[in-house]
Amino acid sequence: MSHPPDERLDLSGVPCPQNTARALMALALLDEGEVLEVLLDDGEPMENVPPALELEGHSIAARERTATGWRLTILRGEE
Amino acid sequence: MIYLDNAATTHPEPEVIEAVAAAMASGTGNASAIHRAGVQASLLVERARVTIAARLGADPAGLLFTSGGTEANNLAILGVAQAGGRARGHLLCSAIEHPSVRQPLEQLARQGFDLEILPVDSTGRLAPDTLHHALRPDTVLVSVIHGSNELGTVQDAASIAAICAEARVPMHLDACQSYTRVPLDLGAVQADLVSINAHKIHGPQGVGALWVRPGTALDPVVHGGGQERGLRPGTLNTAGIAGFAAAVALATPARTAQVTALRAHLVAGLRERLPWARIHGPREGTLPHVLSVAFPGAMGKDLFMALNRRGFLVSLGSACSAGSTAPSAVLTAAGVSPALARATLRISPSHHTTRADLEALLDALVELTQPGAAPA
Repeated sequence: MSHPPDERLDLSGVPCPQNTARALMALALLDEGEVLEVLLDDGEPMENVPPALELEGHSIAARERTATGWRLTILRGEE
Repeated sequence: MIYLDNAATTHPEPEVIEAVAAAMASGTGNASAIHRAGVQASLLVERARVTIAARLGADPAGLLFTSGGTEANNLAILGVAQAGGRARGHLLCSAIEHPSVRQPLEQLARQGFDLEILPVDSTGRLAPDTLHHALRPDTVLVSVIHGSNELGTVQDAASIAAICAEARVPMHLDACQSYTRVPLDLGAVQADLVSINAHKIHGPQGVGALWVRPGTALDPVVHGGGQERGLRPGTLNTAGIAGFAAAVALATPARTAQVTALRAHLVAGLRERLPWARIHGPREGTLPHVLSVAFPGAMGKDLFMALNRRGFLVSLGSACSAGSTAPSAVLTAAGVSPALARATLRISPSHHTTRADLEALLDALVELTQPGAAPA
């Protein structure tokens, strides 16, 4: 992903499934193909959120380790 | 029937009932479950959190859903006073607090806290200076009702909160009656905790919230799962929360202006047609939907019953103290004599009330209370 994300969301410390819900709310405000960057905790959030977003039609373009967790690059899917 | 008891509870709007029913019928899961049905429930809750917090100008992350205003008030008071196992300290509140604030404070006093109740003036206002002088180094909490459920008086929340912020004392604002009816921007008003609820604004009963400013020390009062950041465990009332948000969306300034105009119409009618009536509370700075008025010489209970028989549903003082024969402590705190307090009714219109409803009520009140009228 060469261009900067269209929106950023810090979900550090937000429990499941609230983190997924908040990511879906942010994605709903984007157009198809736009990019949301999310900071996510390691462990359950990282296990649960990416597959839950994929189930709702979005795709994970990149996963990158940060000092405290993960940075996800999410491509907004179709309605 | 003409329903004029909207400060006790309101009738849910059709859009609210639809939102509650849709949430219940949509197969949503437990908002803590991580499968798709749980995510759908969580999505309803998080969307509602944004809508509800926005009307406070507040960060949605600070909003904790509760079972209503009483639980929000209990959580704020018990949770802050006893945070970190604290067992002593000085507590301040006004003399016109709702029982769901006054009772937990008195419970803390029985356990060793020092509760000081601050006087209000004859309109029900707490002077910010009174609070300023009462603060002590060991004060751990100030709790003030924003809009009085009995008198309608709206407090100067900004000044009161600023005094508390300067003294670094957590300040709780009970905004259960004022939420959406009186503008409140928590970016400007430095309150640390704010209680709100749904059923006072045409939402469902059984759902409310406490907004907590980041950094406020708060312990849970109810213990269980980790919902609501562990501060208010328990499965969330997803359908109720969806209805709460629907109610907030409908609570527009235009609707408030409509109710304000109805209250003004009622006040004008009372002054013109019932000059013997005594209106409590301030002339300016009141809740749009609360009018407290005494009819000297009448027994409030008898008048209430006579109006009830004629289809006018009002309240005696406060619904929450219904059943009690003692005069309202809130009215007497504002200097109303016990006899006049017993002759007081609370009339509480909504945007569904018409001017014709109020004219009919005034006709009945003239007949029932004019000097020399047969006892109701």
